[in-house]
Amino acid sequence: MSLTDDTGHAAGLARHRAEQAAATLPPLLIAAERVAATVAPGVHGRLRVGTGETFWQFRRYVTGDPANRIDWRQSAKTERVFVRENEWEAAQSVWLWRDLSPSMVYRSRLAEETKHERASLLLLAAASLLVRGGEHIALLGQNRIARAGRTALDRITLSLIREDDRGGEAIPLVRLPRYGQLVLLSDFLAPFAETEHAIRHYAAQGVRGHLLQVLDPAEEELPFRGRIRFEGLEGEGEYIASRAETLRGSYAARLRALRGSLTDLCSSIGWTFGHHRTDAQPQSALLALYSAFSEDLA
Amino acid sequence: MLTFGPLAFAAPWILTALAALPLIWWLLRVTPPAPRRIAFPAVRLLFGLRPSEETPARTPWWLLLLRLFLATLIIVALAQPLINPGARLVGDGPLLLVTDDGWAAAANWPARTRALADMIDQAERGNRPVAVLTTAPPADGSPLAVSGLMPAAAARRLIDGLEPKPWPVDRAGAVRALKDGDLPLPIESVWLSDGVSAEDRTGEADELARLLIRFGPAAVVREPDADLARLLAPPETAGSILVLEVQAPAAPAGEGEIRVRAVTESGQVIAVAPVAFAAGARTGSAQFDLPAEARNQIVRLELDGESTAGAVVLLDERWRRRPVGLVSGGALEYAQPLLSDTYYLGRALDPTAEIHAGALANLMELGLTVLILADVGQVVVPDRTQLDRWLDGGGILVRFAGPKLAESDGSLLPVPLRSGTRGLGGALTWTTPARLGAFAEDGPFFGLAIPDDVRVSRQVLAEPNLDLSDRTWARLADGTPLVTAEPRGKGWLVLFHVTATPQWSNLPLSGLFVEMLQRVVALSQGISGERSAVPLPPLSLLDGFGRLGAPGAGAEPARPEIFEDSAVGPGHAPGFYGSNEARRALNLSAGITPPVAIGDLTAALRQDSYGQSAEIDLLPWMLVAALIVLVIDTLAGLALGGQLRRVAAVTSVFAVSAVLLAFAPRPADAQAGAQGDDSFALAATLETRLAYVVTGNSALDEMSRAGLTGLSQILTVRTAIEPAAPMAVNIESDELAFFALLYWPIEPDQRDLSPEALAKIDTFMKSGGTIVFDTRDQQYAETSPNSFRRTTSVNGPGAQRLQGILAGLDIPPLAPVPDDHVLTKTFYLLRDFPGRWSGGTVWVERHAGGSNDGVSSIIIGSNDWASAWAIDGSGRALAAVVPGGAAQREMAFRFGINLVMYAFTGNYKADQVHIPAILERLGQ
Repeated sequence: MSLTDDTGHAAGLARHRAEQAAATLPPLLIAAERVAATVAPGVHGRLRVGTGETFWQFRRYVTGDPANRIDWRQSAKTERVFVRENEWEAAQSVWLWRDLSPSMVYRSRLAEETKHERASLLLLAAASLLVRGGEHIALLGQNRIARAGRTALDRITLSLIREDDRGGEAIPLVRLPRYGQLVLLSDFLAPFAETEHAIRHYAAQGVRGHLLQVLDPAEEELPFRGRIRFEGLEGEGEYIASRAETLRGSYAARLRALRGSLTDLCSSIGWTFGHHRTDAQPQSALLALYSAFSEDLA
Repeated sequence: MLTFGPLAFAAPWILTALAALPLIWWLLRVTPPAPRRIAFPAVRLLFGLRPSEETPARTPWWLLLLRLFLATLIIVALAQPLINPGARLVGDGPLLLVTDDGWAAAANWPARTRALADMIDQAERGNRPVAVLTTAPPADGSPLAVSGLMPAAAARRLIDGLEPKPWPVDRAGAVRALKDGDLPLPIESVWLSDGVSAEDRTGEADELARLLIRFGPAAVVREPDADLARLLAPPETAGSILVLEVQAPAAPAGEGEIRVRAVTESGQVIAVAPVAFAAGARTGSAQFDLPAEARNQIVRLELDGESTAGAVVLLDERWRRRPVGLVSGGALEYAQPLLSDTYYLGRALDPTAEIHAGALANLMELGLTVLILADVGQVVVPDRTQLDRWLDGGGILVRFAGPKLAESDGSLLPVPLRSGTRGLGGALTWTTPARLGAFAEDGPFFGLAIPDDVRVSRQVLAEPNLDLSDRTWARLADGTPLVTAEPRGKGWLVLFHVTATPQWSNLPLSGLFVEMLQRVVALSQGISGERSAVPLPPLSLLDGFGRLGAPGAGAEPARPEIFEDSAVGPGHAPGFYGSNEARRALNLSAGITPPVAIGDLTAALRQDSYGQSAEIDLLPWMLVAALIVLVIDTLAGLALGGQLRRVAAVTSVFAVSAVLLAFAPRPADAQAGAQGDDSFALAATLETRLAYVVTGNSALDEMSRAGLTGLSQILTVRTAIEPAAPMAVNIESDELAFFALLYWPIEPDQRDLSPEALAKIDTFMKSGGTIVFDTRDQQYAETSPNSFRRTTSVNGPGAQRLQGILAGLDIPPLAPVPDDHVLTKTFYLLRDFPGRWSGGTVWVERHAGGSNDGVSSIIIGSNDWASAWAIDGSGRALAAVVPGGAAQREMAFRFGINLVMYAFTGNYKADQVHIPAILERLGQ
């Protein structure tokens, strides 16, 4: 919550909004952390020597090692001098983004919360997990530098809540450091070409990414009957179905095709793609997301 | 008009639109219902999809049926369906409505107006002009006249204002009016008759019927004979029995269906008598045999179930039997009745008066109007002043002469008498028995016929003096007084100078004797002025339905000949005339001949009856039904379009709120009240608490609260009573039963209590509660003894207000606290009871001994105790005491402790009253 760069009235306004946000922050964070806690506790090591806090091995002193690295207790047990080495615990930068387009603010009767709420929850939960893992995290399009620690989590939470007012729709196209990781949470219902363009943009930078499609059960199943006028939420237009139930099969095929092309795109560039329904438990999606991370981070 | 049995259509050509129904059906079928609107993010995936099954969406069959029904409903409604279409009119062109609105028409008036309205409706549909003639003379005395032809709507307004008149119809006048009115001929006419005509005027009905037939197609509407109006004749008195005659227009078929009710001034029915008709007779009779007291209460006789002016007879003083006392000086009453005075008097008075015979002292107790003393020499009354008072109050004392009177000292006589008697026509006299002379014009006997054969052979003679002739009501042919009278207050002292037996004259044997006595009896109760020629103003008059009401604008004072002839008519409606004290009844039935049914009149007249059920126009009802179906259809359409939920939500909110508004307040209130009571009751009962009455003045209430808080603290410190924080009590709404002691400071602006609150306070005080009223105005004035129970006010503003509050309560007698009252020794020994002020008298019940363990239910003081007790949060006193000092505050607290102890523990300390005596007896 660094608001020091704001001055005067803006600072006052920002603080007011931050306080407002802070009022809703604990429940969201708590919910996210509860989800995260069930998935994976603990820090993952790199399984090799490096800077870190966890003991990895003792090795023989070689000339050139700084004297303060010598473990005198161990050395006193034998005649040789040992140097204490810790496991390398390198942190990675993970950039997170969730879709804020109007189509995300949708909830059918079959779900408990909107796609947007679920995406925010998953994003925070993932961020919480990553922070526990010691990774550096940042919001795509919001933060220039990825940071670690709880402050980073708080900062992201605050940003999430603030961002609700603004709403970024398309995937922002910015430069990311190489070997960064990208997590994209969206319904990916925008035209496939737009999505593909953004993904290829990041893949070209050497960023690895994970796509999670969050859909409402109604969008998965099209459970409507009778004469219905479907209206888009983003001004796409409308479609009149004289008998909606007859469309179910072809709609499901189209959805499958969309997912197929997304999966194909991801596998072609080494990314992962998963999908999640808002009526399912968030833990399952988080677990899938986490396992994808762990492969990459390991 | 198209008619199917009881159903008809006024505009049948509209029904052809029903042929369009199949077209509507086809149109509805091919038009799909409006689609539901659903927001759907993945609509992009739907674009371009072709449904696998290409069945066009159709309107559901039930909606189709509903809409067809709606169309049918509207078409049929516009065709103006009528149930029970009246076919009272046959032709077209102008219409003449002749309406009887005399007394007899009131019998079946609603049916008459319904028939009239039906005909005017039909005339309106046929666009026919209407002329109206009512046959009873208008109330303003103007002659009968036919209204000009007017549109049906105007005629309806005229008819709406029509009321039956309480006098008979004038058909001869109606015939004249029809002949004079320039109506276009031919004209269809309908005579809405009342079905009767007076016995001596039957020809007029025929004449009217013939005239109408001459005008064009004519119909007469009349009831069946059994429903015609009956006339109740004024009753005759036969002894103690009222005999009534009921005159029916036609001989009734059944028996015992008609009853007469006797109604008192207050509207109470005190007797009902069945009317008995001989077989085939048109007149029946009924009898009331009632005690005189009950009979005298009857002011109205009416036929049960008939509401016409002719079915009501009003009774005035003429029908009342008055109690008359008879006292005889003779002793032969039982041995030889024909020689007894009371025999002749009793026979003469019995038909009109209630006779009590006996000793004078007993009779005076009965409340007589007339007392007759027959040959009583010396009036021996235990209390002479009682007799004088009775005379002054309107009693009439009638004395008859006789041997004893002739020898008496002459007290209680209208004129001084010579002693002895004057004999006429005896063996030793040369005169013949005297005839009667003319009656005095200002006397009550004026106008009575004098029979020739009455002879007086002996009489007592008056001393001639100046006012003798003024006091003479009747004299003999030679001028000597026969009856003299002297007014005494409102009453009269009357002397017949002859005996009540045929000993001295044969007057008692003549009919004149009866009439004279009746006139004398009628003189009582203030109807003596009735003979005067002054017209009597209308007091309350009958309307056409036989209801008494205030006289209308057209009512005129009635001259005496109106009553003589019972000439009821415009300006002289039947009813009561005169003043409330002396009223005279004018009855319709006394002046008219019995009614007879008019029958079929002539064969050329179309016969109709009122019995038809009213025509019902279904147009508005069907349009309402169509509207309802339309609403259902709209809702169904919305439901199919998926928009019903929003509409339903809004509608249900409205509906629910409407239902709540309609039904909920009571249960909701009850619930809220119940919950409130619970918390209040729990708070009041779980801990012992002092309580004060909320006055509405927040400063005063705060002071009460602080005062009782202070007192509670002192109580906790010093005594075994450890009250919790005091409670505020709303005297109007809170339950009082939980408290033993209620502190009630009086606010001068306090509103009066509701009756419920007063009842609650009364119950509280009677069931053991103690209320401490603190008028807080000791600085203004001293309260006077027991002024709280009276309304004298010599007190401060609080005491005055307290008087107002206590005025509605049952307050026991009060007294200042006696020196040895329990209140002075329940905890501390106290001599006075200071509060913020000092010296005010404290009042308690004077005799609190019996109930409530001797605890006075009311304690009244003016010392503003709460202010003296009041402490703030840190224990400091809130108000200064006057004149001041810690001692006064301490004494105020001590009084508070004594007060609470007194209320809580009762009178056990009262025993200490006797300690001095006990100690003395113990010899110490």
